[in-house]
Amino acid sequence: MGDAIRELKMNSINDAKLSIRGVDKIYGNGSKRVIALEGVNLDIPDQKFTTIVGPSGCGKSTLLNLLAGFEKPTRGEILLDNIGIEKPGPDRGFVFQEYALFPWKTVLGNVMFGLVNNGYSRKEAKQRALDYINLVNLNGFVNAYPHTLSGGMKQRVSIARALAYDPKVLLMDEPFGALDAQTRKYMQEELIKIWEKCQKTVVFVTHSVIEASYLSDIVVVMTARPGKVKGIFKAAHPRSRDYTGDHFLALRKEVLDCLEEEVRKEIEMDRP
Amino acid sequence: MGGRPHNQKFKEFWQFIFPLIVAGMIWQLAVSFSFIDVALLPTPSMIAQEFYRLIWVKQTLLHHLGGSLYRLALGYIFAIAVGIFAGALLGLNRTVREMFSPALSLLIAVPTIAWVPVLLVTMGLGDKTVITAVFLGGVFEMTYSTMAGIRAVNRQQINAARIMGVSGPKLFFKVLVPASLAMVMPGLRLSNGYCWRALIGAEMLSAMILWGVGKMIYEARFWNDVKIMFVGLLLIGVCAVILDRILLKPLERGTVEKWGMLSGS
Repeated sequence: MGDAIRELKMNSINDAKLSIRGVDKIYGNGSKRVIALEGVNLDIPDQKFTTIVGPSGCGKSTLLNLLAGFEKPTRGEILLDNIGIEKPGPDRGFVFQEYALFPWKTVLGNVMFGLVNNGYSRKEAKQRALDYINLVNLNGFVNAYPHTLSGGMKQRVSIARALAYDPKVLLMDEPFGALDAQTRKYMQEELIKIWEKCQKTVVFVTHSVIEASYLSDIVVVMTARPGKVKGIFKAAHPRSRDYTGDHFLALRKEVLDCLEEEVRKEIEMDRP
Repeated sequence: MGGRPHNQKFKEFWQFIFPLIVAGMIWQLAVSFSFIDVALLPTPSMIAQEFYRLIWVKQTLLHHLGGSLYRLALGYIFAIAVGIFAGALLGLNRTVREMFSPALSLLIAVPTIAWVPVLLVTMGLGDKTVITAVFLGGVFEMTYSTMAGIRAVNRQQINAARIMGVSGPKLFFKVLVPASLAMVMPGLRLSNGYCWRALIGAEMLSAMILWGVGKMIYEARFWNDVKIMFVGLLLIGVCAVILDRILLKPLERGTVEKWGMLSGS
């Protein structure tokens, strides 16, 4: 009987690359106490593009920070390939909204950073970095410093940097939030092309339902504070990524309906 | 870098020198037409003559300058070394910072010249006092700039390095050090200025030193020789600017300015 249970558990675990188990995150004490996340349970499947959407302040970025190991959950645990996440590490890649590139390093230097610090020789690191710079279409800017690049280009460097050392999962925190609408749409298309080439497990946080519906295999909707998982929506498979396609519109409607209630709640909460 | 066109540099040079020439001419004319008493204030041409005399005829000016530069170099280098070390400590460790940053604010507020009597009593009337004064002139600014530089490092840049598996001393040298240069570099230039002030003040008050620009200016008082004083003043200004433009500014230009890390650049 024990074996059967273990087997059952193994099966459910095997599906999930990342498992979030009963996670609470509480900031501050006393009257300043804020419950950012409460009882979050979520399995994120391997090689799928998962997006987390929710009203502002729902703790979706907090959840991503926990996955990265930048912060620790107050309660519960997070597993990557069945091993608990204790601290940040190169089995994960992270793309920040504000890029977080190193301004004193060139594009090449930025992409090489994660490689030379994880056992690659300089020569290997350079070759690999050039491959990834090529992947994000920045060949002409190998020796440029970040401050000379546009927002979209900076974010492409950041994606190349996060992918180059081959992490198991890619975590993206509103990566296109600071970009203008046109660049944003272009970057979404680029990201999908890149993702189709490398098939990483992606966890993508955004507040844009359109972005989420366009990009994702799975959309996770979170409640207003305290953040919980409210609904999980799967895109039809195989899917065409098309802003006017039926799949897209259907998914968008489902997510919007689920989210609307939460947004209203959040607005109510802000009233005096 | 170095790609700035030649006439751009020429233009910068003119923008620097032109107001000085105009001011000099107005001064010269004002004295020549006796708006001001010549016995008290020499004309620029008289100062130029005196400058020539001190260099070539009397041959004392370079001795004075040499003495000053030697003390400046020693004091400044110590100030940088100690300031960067202490500043890094204060920037990295919260406990240390909370303990010592009130003292640092207090020390920055005290004009360095106020230290000199204390040093004269405790360290004597010679070189040691002047070099220590130069050190005190620069060290607090350097400490403060380094501390602020470390504290201002973008949290997300640190997180980016951490998720790539970089932590501990590696994180310090590969991320915190270059990132804090945005404030350390301007700190180097500022503390250079403070060191010059301390140097000249301390030289004036230290009786046992023979050579020094501050000494030269102060001694000229006994002969009522305002010309020599002005030679000294100009020499200090010119040297400080040269040091800044030849050493410190290019250092800044080749690093934080090139990387777009200076606000407003």
